[in-house]
Amino acid sequence: MRKIAGLVLLGLAAAAAVAATFLPFSELLIRLAPGQPQTAYVTTGWSTRFGGTTDEHGPLFGIPIVVAAAVVLAGMRWRKVAFAGAAALAGVTGMLFVYLLNAISFHEEGNIAIDPALEAGFGNGIWVLISAVVLAFGAVVVHPDD
Amino acid sequence: MGRATAIALIAVGVVLTATAMVLPWYSTAYAGGVEVVVRAWGTEILNKPGDWPAGELSPWYGVPVVVTAVLLVVGVWVSRAALAGAAGQLGAVAVIGALVVSERGHAVEQQGDFAVGFGLVFLAVGTLVALAGAVAVQREAA
Repeated sequence: MRKIAGLVLLGLAAAAAVAATFLPFSELLIRLAPGQPQTAYVTTGWSTRFGGTTDEHGPLFGIPIVVAAAVVLAGMRWRKVAFAGAAALAGVTGMLFVYLLNAISFHEEGNIAIDPALEAGFGNGIWVLISAVVLAFGAVVVHPDD
Repeated sequence: MGRATAIALIAVGVVLTATAMVLPWYSTAYAGGVEVVVRAWGTEILNKPGDWPAGELSPWYGVPVVVTAVLLVVGVWVSRAALAGAAGQLGAVAVIGALVVSERGHAVEQQGDFAVGFGLVFLAVGTLVALAGAVAVQREAA
């Protein structure tokens, strides 16, 4: 039972981490002129978009996340590898959180004069990613190798 | 590799990481002498022009790195902490890698002069050395 729980949690953690890369990590909704519809500035693991424009050089946060998720999956065989994968995923998440926290604040401060009613904040992707980290460490605790 | 060598590798990794905390990580120089320098504890803008955008894009990248470095130090006594610190730091540095590639692309697009600083080099080397030490400590403990 413990073996199945460990494997399922590792699989869920890796799947959640990969899924998170396709969800918004941060979002800014802003009206560039009164009466206009809101334009969305969205950062995901694979793109940074402002309205219909994609930043060609947007940071690809998805790459380190997917690599860490792959290590978590490889941890199905070895507990220490699962632990290292969970720690790597936590490291990626921690650094990404620090970056996003400042980027959101930057977007608020930089655009508040244009639209005082703008909305800026974390997207669902970061919460799914944090959940993946918790699942990964949970899987390490019940890992059958222990 | 003995335990002493493994601990020495972790120590070297921590020292290199600590050094990286006070050196520039990367920078972009633009026309008019404007230079954006990214460090562990914020972004410095030299010769900031009057029409520079409001707000401060200045993340404290050093925070997660300090956490992983502390884990590495604890790893001298608790081998599992060394593995957590080294793997966590590798993940954190990989995010910086993604940002560096992105910033370099933006700099080239805007005809800026992008450069990687010694801080990032020290951080990358320190992370890999610490990881080698952490893996060796695990093998010794097994």
